[in-house]
Amino acid sequence: MTPTGTRKVPTYCYQCVAGPDLLNVVVEDGVAVKVEPNFGVTEHPAGGRPCVRAYGLVQKLYNPNRVKSPMKRTNPQKGREHDPGWVAITWDEALDLLADKLRTIRDAGFVDENGYPKLAVTFGAGGTAPAYLGGFPAFLSAWGAPLDQGIGSGQGMKCVHSEHLYGEFWHRAFTVAPDMPTTTYVLSFGNNGDVSGGVIGVWRHAEARGRGARWIQFEPHMSVTAATAARWVPIRPKTDAAVLYAILNGVLHEHAWRRVCDVAYLSRMTNAPYLVGPNGYYLRDAATRKPLVWDEKRAAAVAFDTPDVEAYALEGEFTVAGIEIGPDEQMIEHASTTARPSFQLLRDHVKPYTPEWAAKVSDVPAATIREVTREYLEHARVGATVEVEGVTLPLRPVAILLGKSVNNGWGGYECCWARTLLAALVGALEVPGGILGTTIRLNRPSSNRLESVRPGPDGFMAQPLNPTSKKDWQARPTSRSAHKTLVPLVSDGSWSGALSPAQLPWLFMGDPPPKWPEPTPPEVWIVGRSNPAISCWDSDLVMSKLKRFPFVAAFAYTQDETNWFSDLLLPDATDLESYQLFRVGATKYVESYWEHQGVALRQPVADSPFDTKDLTDVGTELSRRLGLLERYNEALNRGVALGVPLKTAQYDVSLDASTPHTSAEIWDRACRAATLALSKGREERDLAWFSEHGVYLVPFSRLNWYLHPEMLRKGLRYELPYQERLKRIGAELRARLHEQDIHWWDTQLDEYQALPPWKDFPEIWVDIARRHGKKPEDYPLWLLTSRSMQYSWGSQVSLPLMADVARHVRGHFGIMLNAKMAALHGIDEGDEIWVESPIGRQKGTAMLRAGVRPDVVVAIGQFAHWATPVAEDIQMPNLNALEPIDLSLIDATGSGSDLVRVKVYRTRHGDR
Amino acid sequence: MRWGMVVDVRKCVGCQTCTIACHEENALPPGIFWRHVVDVEVGEYPDVRRAFLPMGCQHCAEPPCVPVCPTGASQQRADGIVFVQYDMCIGCGYCAVACPYRARHMIHDQEWYFMAPTPSEKKAHDPERHGVMSKCTFCKHRVDKAPAGATPGVDPEYTPVCVSSCIANAMHFGDLDDPTSNVSRLREEHQPGVLLEELGLKPSLFYITE
Repeated sequence: MTPTGTRKVPTYCYQCVAGPDLLNVVVEDGVAVKVEPNFGVTEHPAGGRPCVRAYGLVQKLYNPNRVKSPMKRTNPQKGREHDPGWVAITWDEALDLLADKLRTIRDAGFVDENGYPKLAVTFGAGGTAPAYLGGFPAFLSAWGAPLDQGIGSGQGMKCVHSEHLYGEFWHRAFTVAPDMPTTTYVLSFGNNGDVSGGVIGVWRHAEARGRGARWIQFEPHMSVTAATAARWVPIRPKTDAAVLYAILNGVLHEHAWRRVCDVAYLSRMTNAPYLVGPNGYYLRDAATRKPLVWDEKRAAAVAFDTPDVEAYALEGEFTVAGIEIGPDEQMIEHASTTARPSFQLLRDHVKPYTPEWAAKVSDVPAATIREVTREYLEHARVGATVEVEGVTLPLRPVAILLGKSVNNGWGGYECCWARTLLAALVGALEVPGGILGTTIRLNRPSSNRLESVRPGPDGFMAQPLNPTSKKDWQARPTSRSAHKTLVPLVSDGSWSGALSPAQLPWLFMGDPPPKWPEPTPPEVWIVGRSNPAISCWDSDLVMSKLKRFPFVAAFAYTQDETNWFSDLLLPDATDLESYQLFRVGATKYVESYWEHQGVALRQPVADSPFDTKDLTDVGTELSRRLGLLERYNEALNRGVALGVPLKTAQYDVSLDASTPHTSAEIWDRACRAATLALSKGREERDLAWFSEHGVYLVPFSRLNWYLHPEMLRKGLRYELPYQERLKRIGAELRARLHEQDIHWWDTQLDEYQALPPWKDFPEIWVDIARRHGKKPEDYPLWLLTSRSMQYSWGSQVSLPLMADVARHVRGHFGIMLNAKMAALHGIDEGDEIWVESPIGRQKGTAMLRAGVRPDVVVAIGQFAHWATPVAEDIQMPNLNALEPIDLSLIDATGSGSDLVRVKVYRTRHGDR
Repeated sequence: MRWGMVVDVRKCVGCQTCTIACHEENALPPGIFWRHVVDVEVGEYPDVRRAFLPMGCQHCAEPPCVPVCPTGASQQRADGIVFVQYDMCIGCGYCAVACPYRARHMIHDQEWYFMAPTPSEKKAHDPERHGVMSKCTFCKHRVDKAPAGATPGVDPEYTPVCVSSCIANAMHFGDLDDPTSNVSRLREEHQPGVLLEELGLKPSLFYITE
């Protein structure tokens, strides 16, 4: 019977990692008609309001271009030019087909002849996938054997990758945010937070502007965030590190550093006083192997953790005895040697990077650099304190933010290092007003950043680095992105495969480098919420490799450019059709940090219009078919996929492991367990309660936003400015690879430097033309991309409503060029133009602007679809199709910056 | 009582959340937006300013669209809300010509986003609006529902949806005649301006720019 009347169904939108955003769907007579904020959640930092994308959810539900039932490919030939020949099948047939393929793997062995898992899965979209996979991860756990998550869909290129890895290493900051409710001054290098910061970011930035906070935006074009900033500084692409280094120079050489820096913080919370020996490693006490510092009162070197040191030497040169420990435990003994504090080395290191030098590199006037340096130091208010919930903490209301393509790819390390260091210099790291980490992904427990702080070597935090020792290094990669082999920083957790050089499988498949096991096409590839044929660089290369995949099962919303190559389309129930309980509040991605924490329910709001299936039910059915049901249920009972264990010493709401359960039954248990856990056993709320109320919250102390008290409690220091550990593991990794006669990763190994110098980063991209047999001077412009709030993630490209709305935002749907530059090329507003890189060209409509550097063109988002309904009619170029997957563009963390050198010219009549 | 709005342009990020929320709230057909945010760029590189200006009907105290209407369909309520009485409108478009803010939108035929209406479009569309002029109503269907004790502009359920959906808290709605209302306080504090003041239409939308 069709329900009658109007009701509001609470749910969430997690179409970007800044969520979940809470909302209500208004349902009339069983039909979802509109989205509204959930004003009842007064604890939400942005008033319970979702952003523009959430309002597309109703159209997303009823989109007639969706895959309406499971489909099987009938055309054995794969390629863009070959229609898959889909025929509809039942869910039973579809799941049997997939289960048969998976059973073959289980029967014949999980790993192929090159050592790679035969089963690979790719769930893209920057961390949003877990909020939509339902119980499916429990099936992957029940699989019980290696599976490969290293086939990339754009990670590393599209995320803030270096920041993820180095941020988590230095201050448990997989993502970095300003403490915006308190910050008064932001230097942003391309951080487009008013587009990418989620509703909480937008809200907090606006509030800050309202109270007079000053935001300076360095960016090659005037993005939305540059528009709202107090000042836009048009910087030359990939030169951000130069300006940051010049600010360091200003702080440490043009100002009286003892007056402007937080000397106590540097002395006690960082490795600034650690003495460094002549070989670049800490000088250590020979007996205890502890790093030494110079105690000015004793006039002697003492272990860094000596409790009564009153004044640490930060400058100077000292003659001391001790040892250095180099790579592979190599011990270098010094009866007497010269050692300098790492802070002294830092000052020496940044001395050449004057504002005048940086001006030549970056096009940012030296006077501007000096001005922002002075403002930064003034706003830092070194010495100020603030009381937070009865605890006195330092107040340092300054933050430096980095954006995508600044904080990943070559130069990402240098920018992340300089930014984090500038915070540390004034004591603004992890204190009120400064920069904070908000989420962690490589350390555990991922739900509690503070608990993840554990003592590690030399007074720093522990980090689960992949081993580089002779004994433990993984010489033969077990994932196609080789995360354990090539990237020590990325660890070996559930996210690590995807956070590695995930371009390598596409690059090396069929064309491996010397001494390297060729990444094979996986026997079964399951792909969902991900479209690498559009979102990876070098679309043609990706598609040429996709053709070779023998069996692809795609969770499919509509036909798209990747599932065009698949063998099976599985229409999973989407946002408004399926159940999932998800963590909300506390500290999460981007600027999502709250004074509450809890869980929110995503739930079906109306009957699904098509034959879709909840992914939890898909996981259950596959497990049952493969004889893995008990293991699957046990995984759910452990909390896999649910985010909370169903059985602890305090409560037991576990599932009977021997029988299958519906999605509703499983999530009912998750609701009960989560509320019991959050309330410490006082309250138990079931699915029916959540269906009505949507969210369950408990207070979360604001003190938990800051790592500082935890670091003090545990007597730990931040591993800044000197990167002795990175230098050592880099040397070890070089040795390991060379022992295997592998030299093609040598350039990446150069990144492991204790104090990274400036390198000519722009030249790396200029050189791409030469590497492809072209002349660099023929490609005089930079093509950049920029986030679209309307279009990022979540299948919006197939929603005509979103196109209708997005056309009001500058840059949709054209290629933005500087008006004067365009005139020199004879290009007028609205002209059809080619954007051509050394590997291809894309057509688009010229959109002339004043707010773009003359050497830059900008294409928003990721388009150039040819199979996705509606999107295929949008005439927008895609940077990804023009950027080669090239080893020279991949940095040590496996990431690459989203920019490429191009030329632009008008199309001629008849051009195709 | 006179309903009005104060927009803090310093806070607006041009995200178009208000645009889409209005579109959905009022079940508008493709291409028709009673409100949207104009993305303006002025100056020459590198001295450039870009600003976002939420635009819609200004609900003028002296609305030029009302007297030009040959049928009396274009009306103004005592509380200042300017609206179209659809069953009286003949779709002549005089009002659209008279409006200097381009805030009136003719809905010729019902159109759908796909070949056929989706269930939500079928359910929500308003056949009364075909062939007539349409415009922002200040969400009078929400404002008028406010029970005793509830205040439009304070209680989001009874506030125009563009205001209550704004993720930058850039828009405020209230009674311009009530000196204690939020909008009156903002006007007092910031002395916001109006668009095309020289026309003397006395708009009810005020913009804080500095």
